[in-house]
Amino acid sequence: MKRVEVRLSIPAVAPLLDLIKAVADELRTNLAVPLALSDSDAELAAVWNEDLLASQRDDCDRLFSLFNQEFFSEGVVAFDRENAEPVLRACAALRLRFRSTRLAHIPDDTLEALEASSSLGNMSEDVQKAFACFLFLDELQKIILKYLDPMAVEEDE
Amino acid sequence: MASPRAWRVVFLNDAVTRMSYAVMVLRKLFGFDEQTATKHMLEAHENGRSVVWVGVRENAEAYAFSLQQWHLSATLEPDEES
Repeated sequence: MKRVEVRLSIPAVAPLLDLIKAVADELRTNLAVPLALSDSDAELAAVWNEDLLASQRDDCDRLFSLFNQEFFSEGVVAFDRENAEPVLRACAALRLRFRSTRLAHIPDDTLEALEASSSLGNMSEDVQKAFACFLFLDELQKIILKYLDPMAVEEDE
Repeated sequence: MASPRAWRVVFLNDAVTRMSYAVMVLRKLFGFDEQTATKHMLEAHENGRSVVWVGVRENAEAYAFSLQQWHLSATLEPDEES
C-alpha cells in the first residue's frame, strides 16, 4: 500500500493541536457546512444531520490518530490510502469551522491575501494561532492531494 | 401517467474550500473528467452555484448527501424543464 510519511516540526505543530482539537470538539455537534435543503425537506434534513455529524466525528478522529507517539517522538505523520479520504474531509471541515468562528471577522479578500503570503499580519495572538491552524490544515490537504489523490488511486487500480 | 419529476443537484460555492479539493470530489462522486469537474467548480465560484446532476429524486438525494459529507454545500431543486 502506498504510504507517504511527512516530517513535521514538533515545536511548530504541537502547539496548534490543542486548538484544532477544540474546534474538532465543536464539530461533534455542529456541521461544518449547514444543510441547504428547503423547508419542505425538514424531515430529510434531520436524518442527514445525525448521519453527517457521525461521519464528521469519525473523520476528525482519523485526523487525530495521525498525531500519535511517532509524531511526538519523531515528528512524523503517515498518510496512506486508508486514511487519505477521512483526513482530507476532516481538514476541510476544520478549515470551514475556523473560518466561520475564529476567523469570521476577516474579509474574504484579506484572508486570501494573507493565505497567499502566509503572513500573520497584525492579528491578535489568538487569531494568529487560529490562522496558523487554518494554514496547517491546508498544507495537509495539499500533501494528500499531491501524493495520494483519491482519484489517482482509483485510476491506478 | 405523468413521468416522475426530475430533480437537480446544485453545488454551491464557498470561499474556503481549496479548488483542487472540490474538483477531486466532483470527479469522485459524479465520475466527471478533470475538465468537466473544473468547469462546474469555476461556474460555482463565479455564479455561486452549478447544477451538477439531474435525475430521479432518490439519486439526487444520495448525491447531495455525499457532497455534504465531503463538506461541499449542496441543495436540491425541481428541474423546471422536466
